[in-house]
Amino acid sequence: MKIFLLILVITSAAVVVCSQTPDLTNMEQSVREQIAAAQAALARIAKDPAPTETALSDAYGRLGEIYHVYSLTSAARDCYLNAGRLAPKDFRWIYLLAKLDQQEGRFDDAISRYRAARTLKPDYIAVLVNLGNIFLELNRLDDATESFSAALQLDQNNPAAHYGLGQVAISKHSYADAVDHFEKTLAQVPEANRVHYSLAMAYRGLGNVDKVKAHLAQQGSVGVRVSDPLVDSLQDSIAGERLHLSRGKIAFEAQRYAEAASEFRKAVEANRDSAAARVNLGAALTQLGDLSGAVEQFEEALRIEPGKVSAHYNLAVLLARQNKHDEASTHLRSALKVEPNDVSARFLLAQELNRQGRLDEALIEYSSVVQADPNNEAALLEQVRLLYRKGQVKQALDGLEKGHAQFPQRGHTVVMLAYLLAASPQPELRNGGRALELAERVYNTTGAVQHGALVALALAELGRCSEASDWQRRMIAAAEQQRNTNLLDKLKALKFNENAQSCRVTTETLADVLLFEKN
Amino acid sequence: MPMIAPKLIVLALFISLLSQPIFNDVAEQAGLRFRHYNGMTGKFYLPEITGSGAALFDFDNDGDLDVFLVQGNVLEPSTKPTDTLFPWRGPESPRGKLFRNDLTIAKDGSRSVSFTDVTQQSGIVATGYGMGAAVGDINNDGLPDLYLTNLGSNQMYLNKGGGKFVDVTKESGTDDPRWSTSASFFDYDHDGWLDLMIVNYADFSVTNSPNCYAATTARDYCTPRVFRAPGNRLLHNKGNGVFEDVTVTAGVNKEFGHGLGIVTADFNDDGWIDIYVANDGDPNQLWINQKNGTFVNDALLAGAAVNRNGQAEAGMGVDAGDVDGNGTEDIFVTHLMDETNTLYVNLGEGLFEDRTREAGLGMPGRRFTGFGTLFFDYDNDGWLDLFVANGAVQLLPDLIREKNPFPLGQPNQLFRNTGKGSFVEVSAGAGPEFPLLEVSRGVAAGDVDNDGDTDLLITNNDGPARLLLNQVGNRNHWIGLRIVGNNGRDMLGAQVEIVTATNDVLRRRVRTDGSYLSANDPRVLVGLGQATKVKAVRVRWPDGTKDEWKDQPVDRYVTLRKK
Repeated sequence: MKIFLLILVITSAAVVVCSQTPDLTNMEQSVREQIAAAQAALARIAKDPAPTETALSDAYGRLGEIYHVYSLTSAARDCYLNAGRLAPKDFRWIYLLAKLDQQEGRFDDAISRYRAARTLKPDYIAVLVNLGNIFLELNRLDDATESFSAALQLDQNNPAAHYGLGQVAISKHSYADAVDHFEKTLAQVPEANRVHYSLAMAYRGLGNVDKVKAHLAQQGSVGVRVSDPLVDSLQDSIAGERLHLSRGKIAFEAQRYAEAASEFRKAVEANRDSAAARVNLGAALTQLGDLSGAVEQFEEALRIEPGKVSAHYNLAVLLARQNKHDEASTHLRSALKVEPNDVSARFLLAQELNRQGRLDEALIEYSSVVQADPNNEAALLEQVRLLYRKGQVKQALDGLEKGHAQFPQRGHTVVMLAYLLAASPQPELRNGGRALELAERVYNTTGAVQHGALVALALAELGRCSEASDWQRRMIAAAEQQRNTNLLDKLKALKFNENAQSCRVTTETLADVLLFEKN
Repeated sequence: MPMIAPKLIVLALFISLLSQPIFNDVAEQAGLRFRHYNGMTGKFYLPEITGSGAALFDFDNDGDLDVFLVQGNVLEPSTKPTDTLFPWRGPESPRGKLFRNDLTIAKDGSRSVSFTDVTQQSGIVATGYGMGAAVGDINNDGLPDLYLTNLGSNQMYLNKGGGKFVDVTKESGTDDPRWSTSASFFDYDHDGWLDLMIVNYADFSVTNSPNCYAATTARDYCTPRVFRAPGNRLLHNKGNGVFEDVTVTAGVNKEFGHGLGIVTADFNDDGWIDIYVANDGDPNQLWINQKNGTFVNDALLAGAAVNRNGQAEAGMGVDAGDVDGNGTEDIFVTHLMDETNTLYVNLGEGLFEDRTREAGLGMPGRRFTGFGTLFFDYDNDGWLDLFVANGAVQLLPDLIREKNPFPLGQPNQLFRNTGKGSFVEVSAGAGPEFPLLEVSRGVAAGDVDNDGDTDLLITNNDGPARLLLNQVGNRNHWIGLRIVGNNGRDMLGAQVEIVTATNDVLRRRVRTDGSYLSANDPRVLVGLGQATKVKAVRVRWPDGTKDEWKDQPVDRYVTLRKK
C-alpha cells in the first residue's frame, strides 16, 4: 500500500516533469529537443496505468542525468530524489545526488548520501575519495584520513587517495608524509602537474629549497581526478555542439590540445555543418602538429561558411608557414572583406606583403593596424622600420613618440625611439639628452650589451666622447665575455674620438641591431 | 618584538548582537541616492557585470567621510542609455557622483548623516565607462586626490580645496587607456610622495567580444581568458606633479594576469611596502619590494599565488590585515562560486599558507561569487572580521526560472573572527540587506557617522548603492587614529601598533586600498573590547622611521602627526 501511494505522488509530480522545470528558452536547439524527449519519455511512463517502479525510476534518473550534465542542478536534484525514492537500492541515484550536494556545497547531505551509497556499492572508490575530499574541506582531518585510507585498501595505488592523504599531511604540518603521498600520486599520474605545487609546499615545510624550486618549475594546471565511471558516463549524454565547444576551448586555453581536439571532434559530430566547430578542431590539430588535418577542417569550414573569418585567417597562417604567400594573402584579403576591423588578419596581411617585398602596400596595412589597435607594438615597430627604410625618419619618429606616450613601458618602442634620437640619419631630428635618458633606462632594466651600446651612441650625440668611448670599451668586454662575436665586431667598428669635441655618429651605426633586430 | 595576541572577546556583546541587526541601510534616507547603470544590451559584454566601485574620503577636510560613486555607461557609442535592457532613467547622462557628507551631531550625541550631491560644482566629470576609484594625496597638500579607473582612459583629479577638483590626468602622466580596474596609492621608494599602481583586466572591445555559452548551452558572459591580459602599470610620483612610468624599470611588467584587485602592505615586514595583485583565473602576484626601486614576484614560492591545490583561482577582490594577531599581514582573496574564497595566512618573513578551510571560510564561499571584501572589526572586539560582497558572473539557472531579469544576484556575507584562527558566518543577523539577491561588487569601509564603529558602503551592479551603518560596534571601546605626516597627508602604508592596558598589541595599517575597485577611510579605527586604556600607539612611518605616543584616550578620534 505504501508503495502504491508513493507512485501516485510521484506520478502526479511527473505531470510537471520533476517539480523544478528549468527555463530552456535560450538553450541550444538540439539540447532543448534532447531534454524535451527525456521529459516526454518520463511523462509516457508516468501515464502508464501500471508503471513498474524500475521503469519510472530509470526515467526520472535519466532526465536527472540530462539536467545534471547541463548544470540544471535544481531540476536534476528533484529528478534524482524521485528516482531514489522509487528505487532506494539503486546506487546511481543516491550517488549522483551526493555528487550534486558536494558540487553545491551541501556537505552534510553529501556525507550522509555518500555513506548510504557506500553501503550499496562498497567497492566504488570514488565514494570514498569524494567523502575524503569533503572531510578535508570541512577540516575534519581524521575523517578524511579514514576515507582516503579506506580507498587505498581497495586500490593501494589510487592517486586521488594518495593526493588527499598528502593534503591531510600538509594540514597537519607532517611534511615528510606529505612528500611521500604526493610522490606516490605523481608516480601514478605524472601528467597531473598541479601536484608539483603541493609537493613544493611540502618541501618548503621541510626547508629543502632546491626541491621547492625544482617542483615549482614543473607545476602546471592539470589536477588529479578520481576515476568515476558513473559521472564520466554523463558526459556521453551531451548533445549539440556548444558544450563541447566550451569544454574544448577551456582545454585549449589550458594547452591540453588532445583533449581540446577530442571535444571539438564531438562538436563536429554533433553538428557537421558547424563552421565554428571545424575551425576550433583545426586550431587544436594545428597545435598537435596535424597540419593536413587542420587544413582539411579549415577548408571544410569555408565550404560551409565561405565568409568565416577565422577559417580564412587560420588557413592563411598555415599557408604562410608553407611559404605559400600569395595564397595566404588571398585568404587574408577575403577575411578582411568580411571583417575590415580584424586587426589580426590585417597585421598578418601586412607581414605577408612585407615578406613579398611589397613594402608600400605593407606600410599601408601596418599603419591601419597601428591606428586601429595602438596596443599592437609589433605593428608599430614594423611600420617604423618601413618608414625608416623609405627615408621617412620624421614620420617614424612621430609614430614612436605617439606609441611611447601611450605605452611608455614597452621596451622595443623605447629602444627604437632612443636609437633614432641618438643616431638618426637626419641629424636635425636627433635629441641626445632625451636619447640618453631613454637609453639609460633601458640599459638599467636589461643590462644587455646592445642597450649599453645605445647609451654610448647617445653620449656621442651629446659630445661626451670620452664617456662614449668608455661605454664602448665596457660593452666590448661584455660582448667578449658572452662570446657574442656578431655584436663584438659591430662594437669594435664604432669610432668615437674621445679627445674630440664632437663624436656624433654619421653612418647608420648599429641600426641592424637596434632597429631591425627582432628580439 | 614578539606580538601578543589580543584576548578581548566579550561574550555579553556577542549575545546582544544576536538580537538586533548589526547594520542598517540608510542610503536612501540620508540622500545617498545612486543607482548603478551598466549599459547592458543583451550582447553579454564582459564590462557590463564587472563594475563599479566607490570611495569613502573626506574631500573637504571637515572631519567626516564623503562619498564618490563610480558609474557605468553604454558600451556601444551608437546606443543611447535610454535604449538599453535596463534603460537609464536619470535626468542627466550617466556619470560618477560626488556626495558631500553633512553629518550633524546633536548635543545628546545622536547623529544624522545627510548627503548632498555636489558633483556639478566639484569639477569632476566622470562620464566614461567607470570602474573604480582610488584615493591618495599626490601633492602632499593635505587634501585627498581622486583617481578614477575606466574602461578606456583613466582620470586623475587633483583636490584644490573648497570642494573643487581639477583633471590633471594629462599633465601628471597618469592615464592608462586600457581597461583598468583597481588602483593603489603607496610610497614604494620612501621618497615621501605617493606612487600609483594601476591594475588592468582585459583587452576587451565590443568588436572583439566572442559569443560564449554557459554549461546550460545558453548565451552567457565570457571569462576574461578569451581576451588578452594587458598588463599593469606602476607610476612613480616625481614630486612635481608628474608621474613617471616605471613599469619596466621596476620589473612589474614581467608577470601579469587578468588583474582585478590590489592591496599594498609590507608583507615581509622589512619596512618596505610590497604589492599583491589578485588575478581572475591567473596566478596572483606578490611583488616584493627590493628596496632599490624594483620588485620581484615571489608569490609562488611564498605560497600566495595559487590555492593549496596549486590551482589559480578567479581572483576578484582582495584585502590584507592581521587576522590572527601575529603581527603580520594576512591576505584574503574572493573568487568564483564553486571555488573557495582563499585565506593566505602570513607565517612571517613573507611566507604564506592557505588556511581557508582551517579558518572555516571554504564552504561558505563556494556558494557565491565574491568581489569586494574587507577585513574590519565590526564589533570592536579587537579581532578583524570579514565582509564579502557577492554577485555571480554567469546567469544562475534558478533565477532564470524565476524570470529574474538580471539573474546574477546573490546575498552578501559577514564573518566574525573568533580569535582562534577561524571565522563564523553571522550574515543571518547582520541586517535585512544581507540576504537580498543583489549583484554586489565594490565595498568601502569607514566610520561615516564618526560614532566609533566601521560602516560599509556597498555598490551594486544595476542596483542601488547601500550605506550600512554599524549599529553595535561602539558598544565596545575603541580608538580612532588619523595618522598624518608633517604636511597633513594621510600616511598610507604606515604601520600602527596599539598597546592596550593589558599589553596586548594590535597591528593595523593606514590604507585606502584593498577590497575591489574601491577606496576606504584612511583612518585606523581599532576595537579595544573592554579595555579602557591605550598605553601606547607606535607608528612605523612609510619611510621606516618610528614614533610613539603614550597614554592615548579611548572612544575618540586622535590625530597623530609625524614628529
